[in-house]
Amino acid sequence: MSEDRKRILGMLAEGKITAEEAETLLDAVHSAAVSEPAPEPVSSDEWPEGPSATGATPRFLYVKVTGGADKVDVKIPLAVLRAGLKLTSLIPSQALDQINDSIGEHGMSIDLNNIKPEDIETLIESLREMEINVQSDSGEHVRVFCA
Amino acid sequence: MNAFLPPLVIDVRVREEGRRVFWMWLPVVLLWPLLFVLLALALLVAVVLDLALWLGGAPFHRVTAALLGSLRVLSAVRGTRVRVDSDTTYIRVNIY
Repeated sequence: MSEDRKRILGMLAEGKITAEEAETLLDAVHSAAVSEPAPEPVSSDEWPEGPSATGATPRFLYVKVTGGADKVDVKIPLAVLRAGLKLTSLIPSQALDQINDSIGEHGMSIDLNNIKPEDIETLIESLREMEINVQSDSGEHVRVFCA
Repeated sequence: MNAFLPPLVIDVRVREEGRRVFWMWLPVVLLWPLLFVLLALALLVAVVLDLALWLGGAPFHRVTAALLGSLRVLSAVRGTRVRVDSDTTYIRVNIY
């Protein structure tokens, strides 16, 4: 959520503006955001705060842990995933069946035979919309996303 | 070709309160000649093995592809960054 939207909703919560005024302001903020040029894709040295909203293919997987005693930031190139999945396609089918059985024993029904090299890009593309948020009772916040 | 470029440098920094900064800068690029020699030998063995498997009618003959795929995975770790900050310690790992 953008700072402008937060501010507007805050004003609404405090009763400084009415619901109609808030709607008008939110519409105005939305129109401004739509007319603004899309920001540049994330470079390798930047640490974004959330998933990319540009629609560009994500390049990195981010894991962020905040709110606890330690603050952790991990950035992993998605090229590792891409290369790893391509390597998976080279595994003999008999071995894949054994891996599938082993994964199934741990309660996950993933069929690695279904991962085809041509699907890898689609898979990575769809990671753009993935965001995992875990909030613990102790206040630790874990976020996993791609940008 | 860039997809097969192994890491150039690994930078590790650890700082603990009351201690000197531990800084390790590993120029992995200096190990490349050794890596290339090993890779060339491994590729030669893989190609011969694949050929033998193919001629023998084995259903799997992708040892060379698997070797190159492994090199691709190794190369893909370039750009990995790890930052850990606590009240008394910080850790940085950068793979360039």
